[in-house]
Amino acid sequence: MTVQSISGELDIGSAKTTETNPVPNIDYEDIEPPKVKKSHLWAVRLASIVFTVGSWEILGRQVDPLFMSYPSAIAAAAVRLTASGELISATYSSLRIVAISFGLATIIGLALGLLIGRYRYVEAAADWLVNALYCTPKVAIVPLVIIWFGLGDSAKIFIVTLLTVFPILINAIAGVKNVPRNLIDVGAAFDATEPEIFRKIILPSALPYMMTGLRLGIGRGLIGMVVAEFYTAINGLGAMIVKYGNQYDTASMFVPILVLMLLGVTLTIALRSLDKYFAPWRYVDD
Amino acid sequence: MEHRIKLSAEKVSKTFRIRGGGGTPDSFLPVLRNVSFDIFEGEIVSIIGESGCGKTTLLRIIQGLIRHDAGDVKVDDKVVVKPGRDRGFVFQQASLLPWRTARANVEFGLELQNIPPAKRREKAQDLLALVGLSHAQEQFPHELSGGMQQRVNLARALAIDPAIMLMDEPFSALDAQTREVLQAELLRIQQEVGKTTIFVTHDLDEAIYLSNRVIVLAAKPGRVKEVIDIPFDHPRPPLPELRGDPRFQELRGRMWELIRSAPAVAA
Ligand SMILES: Nc1ncnc2c1ncn2[C@@H]1O[C@H](COP(=O)(O)OP(=O)(O)OP(=O)(O)O)[C@@H](O)[C@H]1O
Ligand SMILES: [Mg+2]
Repeated sequence: MTVQSISGELDIGSAKTTETNPVPNIDYEDIEPPKVKKSHLWAVRLASIVFTVGSWEILGRQVDPLFMSYPSAIAAAAVRLTASGELISATYSSLRIVAISFGLATIIGLALGLLIGRYRYVEAAADWLVNALYCTPKVAIVPLVIIWFGLGDSAKIFIVTLLTVFPILINAIAGVKNVPRNLIDVGAAFDATEPEIFRKIILPSALPYMMTGLRLGIGRGLIGMVVAEFYTAINGLGAMIVKYGNQYDTASMFVPILVLMLLGVTLTIALRSLDKYFAPWRYVDD
Repeated sequence: MEHRIKLSAEKVSKTFRIRGGGGTPDSFLPVLRNVSFDIFEGEIVSIIGESGCGKTTLLRIIQGLIRHDAGDVKVDDKVVVKPGRDRGFVFQQASLLPWRTARANVEFGLELQNIPPAKRREKAQDLLALVGLSHAQEQFPHELSGGMQQRVNLARALAIDPAIMLMDEPFSALDAQTREVLQAELLRIQQEVGKTTIFVTHDLDEAIYLSNRVIVLAAKPGRVKEVIDIPFDHPRPPLPELRGDPRFQELRGRMWELIRSAPAVAA
């Protein structure tokens, strides 16, 4: 099996969502749902938030605090944990690991992906390994990694990088394989050299896929980070969850979880706007 | 016009190998057989023939995008083996780089020649003006109509100032009105730049209107069936008017017969 066929079945699914492909110039006027006002949409959204948080507050208070907490208790815990500095240092520690790993995964994933996608010999040398590792549930090797690297940062970095690199790699490969044949022909017709074709045609054409890979990668990276910190349980947001779980302090446990949620959302939005900046032609409708 | 041979095809032949999947053996598809012709400097020659007769293949061989099996293509008496700056190519399908604006697309070939940015820009602006797109320089391809995209395509090929223009059905995807506008534009531009041009089409009216001569290809495998001189002087009247000329209708009828009646040759 080739890398292409694997990627065709797996992550490409996510790479092929409508926002990734250039939107065809279809006139949607006739089939558009009824017009709505933006301000109304926000009002509905706000009402939904108030309702959900409010119900949580009311229902949460009925439940044994050992199992469930509620917004006001979580807010109080958040204030306490922030004041003590614990939350900030844990967040910093986790973010540092994610940043380093994400950087490594980006460099390795993009470089390797572009080479595998373009050069058949590199593909032959690497595809079996990429496929095998891609199909392995990577958390399975976490205990092994800890035996190799101990409980320190290097174990975490290894794990997070490993989880992050695959979506980036697979999407970079798909990006190169999906460069339209006629665009490469344009390069050839204008007598471009291979490095020029790579730089001026393949790279920009694969960019949307690469950005999708990064976006998926950052999500995986956060998962990897939490898993790694569960195991090593020394510092970081994951360790905080374990610590307060062991103390049956459910409200404090929710605080790092919410921070993780916030991180996930922020990083995904950031990458999406980066994508928009680098690939404006994909956002036809804006 | 001085009749100096700019480009010549000498017994060009090409057979594609079709890979047989699932245990069936490979088969061979002869697409061009012994295609020979001369193109004189400064003229527009159209190549017509039914769909699949090898027009694109022939043009790609001339550009050096694919290798032929036998024969030679010569430009200025030198054998062509790869793409070069002496030939500019206008593609059949959409081929603008979607991440570049119209102007940046036109600059593409100039970048590859390491021409400094200011000069590139100036040249691109001149060419966009020539094709009537000064107002759309900073627009991306998806913001341009099909006709505008083909104008950019034309400008991009002209930008490298090739001696020969190779155009593969550049207007075939356009609606009838836009096509006629662009045909007239092409003749106007040709008056200005005077490039030796090979123009592939399967639109007989287009071939007659634009060309000094028309090469009719027979299909399966593609061979030169006949080369027809087009007698109309430049500048030519608009196409609808030219259609009224009895000679036009006679030429058209003859070409139609030639394309239809071409007997298949046993491989
Ligand atoms: N790379 C290729 N491999 C195999 N067969 C090919 C290849 N390119 C073209 N062919 C075949 O060669 C024949 C000629 O194709 P070509 O594209 O040159 O036709 P054409 O005259 O340009 O047709 P159209 O008017 O539809 O554009 C066709 O039967 C086509 O299927
Ligand atoms: Mg064709």
